[in-house]
Amino acid sequence: MTPNGAVLFVVILIVAAMLADLPGLVVICAVAAAFAVLETRENAWSALRRAALLVLPLAAFMLAIWVGLIGKSPLEIESGLPGSRTSALLYVATVSLRLFLIVFVLQAVLLCFADESPFSVIRSLRAPLGVKRLLVLTLSLIETLRHAVGRSHMALVASGVITRRLSLRNLGHGWILIQSVWLTAITTVLGRLRDKWPAENTLALLEPALAQQERPMCARDRVWHLVALAAALFVFGRLILGTA
Amino acid sequence: MAQRNVLAGANFSGRSAALRALLQSDALVGKAFLIGPYAEAALSGLTNTVRDEVALYGMQTPNGGNCFAAENFAEMQLRDPQSLSGGEQVMLALHCFSQSAYRTIAVDTAFEQLDPTNRAAALDHLRTCDADIFLIDNRAAPEGFTATPAQPQAREFSIDWAALAALSAPQKAAGISITNLNFNYPGTARIFVNAGIDLEPRHAYRVSGANGAGKTTLFKILVGALAPDTAEMTLGGQTYRPWRDGNRALALATQNPDQQWCGATLREDMTRRRRIATRHGNAERISDERLQSYTRALGNVSLDAHLYELPLAARKRLSWSWPFAGVHPWILLDEPTVGQDRATRESLARHLTLMCEQGYGVLFVTHDDEFAASLPHRVLLVANRAITLR
Amino acid sequence: MFTTPRLIAIALCAALNFAVGAVVYLVKLPIYMESIGTILCAMLIFPDRWAAFVCALIAGLASVAVIGLLVNPFLPWFSLTVLAIALISAFVTATGDGVYRARPPQLLAFVVRVVLFGVLTGVVAAIVSAPVVAYLFGGVTGSGSAFLVAFFLKTGETLMRSVLWSGLTADPIDKVLQVLIAALLFRATPAEFIAMVRGVPAKA
Repeated sequence: MTPNGAVLFVVILIVAAMLADLPGLVVICAVAAAFAVLETRENAWSALRRAALLVLPLAAFMLAIWVGLIGKSPLEIESGLPGSRTSALLYVATVSLRLFLIVFVLQAVLLCFADESPFSVIRSLRAPLGVKRLLVLTLSLIETLRHAVGRSHMALVASGVITRRLSLRNLGHGWILIQSVWLTAITTVLGRLRDKWPAENTLALLEPALAQQERPMCARDRVWHLVALAAALFVFGRLILGTA
Repeated sequence: MAQRNVLAGANFSGRSAALRALLQSDALVGKAFLIGPYAEAALSGLTNTVRDEVALYGMQTPNGGNCFAAENFAEMQLRDPQSLSGGEQVMLALHCFSQSAYRTIAVDTAFEQLDPTNRAAALDHLRTCDADIFLIDNRAAPEGFTATPAQPQAREFSIDWAALAALSAPQKAAGISITNLNFNYPGTARIFVNAGIDLEPRHAYRVSGANGAGKTTLFKILVGALAPDTAEMTLGGQTYRPWRDGNRALALATQNPDQQWCGATLREDMTRRRRIATRHGNAERISDERLQSYTRALGNVSLDAHLYELPLAARKRLSWSWPFAGVHPWILLDEPTVGQDRATRESLARHLTLMCEQGYGVLFVTHDDEFAASLPHRVLLVANRAITLR
Repeated sequence: MFTTPRLIAIALCAALNFAVGAVVYLVKLPIYMESIGTILCAMLIFPDRWAAFVCALIAGLASVAVIGLLVNPFLPWFSLTVLAIALISAFVTATGDGVYRARPPQLLAFVVRVVLFGVLTGVVAAIVSAPVVAYLFGGVTGSGSAFLVAFFLKTGETLMRSVLWSGLTADPIDKVLQVLIAALLFRATPAEFIAMVRGVPAKA
């Protein structure tokens, strides 16, 4: 799959997922599963695991609140009906499945490009140069922050201010880590903004690097788009019928 | 004819400011390749892999010059540039320059992070390339370069070595022993395989090895910031696992001083360290007055000064305050002389000799052979996943 | 308005929102902590209030989009709350920048401003969020404040009142903490960076 094809595929599926009811979500689930298996192969388990790790605790929490404590769904609360735990359970299932799908699809699509660097993926996108530059800048800052976290963690562990393992000291000194990460990131960024980038006009180097490498969509992309659109049509159909 | 300039002078003589002014002049702004003292001014900061970093600079029409590359360059292609060691980053930056269309290069003390082999190769490459070169370097002046006269040295941030010596109190460091050390970063090759060392107090050890061999990694393991896969470590014969129980014996001054602060000001930094150190005793060594004396001696800087607003060379010196304060019996200095002029390097060597005589243990990493030669030491060679005492 | 330093500041502040907000959401604390970066962004750019508002809003919305996609799917619906926080931060909270960066610190003035501005931000955020929480999500959005809503519902309050009381209980405390952390980070930020972001010559 190409990056441009992947973006369109994700947009179609996520929009459909946001509007879908439970049967619609099941259909989208099937599409997402097929995509993950065919496009990412063994990495599909990785996408599934990550989505589950994120969503299962949330689902458990919502179950405890909606089904355990409140005992009815938002619609029943709103309309003043007595309500039931079954409808609360259905509500939680729908919301959880929706979230799971969004995360799963995003993870699966990202894993399609696991062998490529983020920079080369962005280069391939068909998007205005300004958008690509912003994406590159944002990703570079994420990397900067990631390294700032590592360096700050090292500094604070070496000085004993925080510990490597979970501890009460870390809870009390968490603010120091945030401050240290911020200052490390700012110093790094300052060095670039003041010295490196003006001297070289480094940002201007992005133009030729980003401008010429777009990858047009391929036939495989089109097939997946059709499949996603079919699922979306099913969702919209149920929406319209439900409204009618 | 291409220019070959060295901006000579002592610390705080305005070399970096002069270089910056030159790069911001109408003639050069946006047209010079810069390799600054640390990663933020050596790498573009825009890419996630070495390959992309090279591609970014290589998109220009090359200047037709010869390519510069380190021996292990092919293996580094998919690595994150920011995860490379300091020396590797400098080598990568030089490679990017050789692939680019820039006709001017400015280097601000960055070559001081290179081991002798890489440093010689880097300077050789610069001599043979058809570009104007502006170099700030505190080591011996390279051949073929013209020294630009220095400004008179400013007095601020000077070190009072006599006061430091007077403040330095005797210590009784215990011996450190490590055996069965195994470690690798996730997804990379082993750094150490069944490595081991015995460190005796009252000695200085130079931890030497090629760029990327694992010297800084060893330091991080010793202070507990990294947990080895396996290791048996003792301090004075007692089991010592800083990665589990916290560091209470080694004071580290990092290669980049900004990677060791615990606060925005010296007072915040020292207060936080002191609070922890108090739990392990040594309260008399870390009184407010004593710490203030150290920071005054290391540059006459107020405890309330914002660390990140001080010049880099001053921050480097202040990064020695905690190790010199004598709270911990072992001192680890990672490239302490980077960015420091000759006079400072010589005085630092003398002070470390004094601390060894007073009972401390010292480990230092340096590619500065001159500095190492003026400090009696033993050599720990980090190479081929092992640590060998020479 | 969008110089490179400001774009960098926006991205950094958005990342700060994401990092802290995501952790707090995942551990189900009854606070949010997802706007520290928004408030900080306004402080960094402050004297130009409209620029401070716009940049803070973009930082807030960017982090809301990322958190919404990856961690908390309910958050994007609170974009109006993000707008309200950005507005108050740029036009009210950031006015204390002289006090936040004063050396030596003016402790009383600092604390008074943090508490006052934090409470104001919290009350406004609670009021703006309440209809979204009540009518779109029935009171429960997956954050720890759901416990408070459930508690008030069990005491017999209506849904809207439960959500409002929950918000007015948790939000001021949460926002005071966020203003405090933002002010401390602002205080620690090097003057040179602030000058770059504001587009003025550096001063200590």
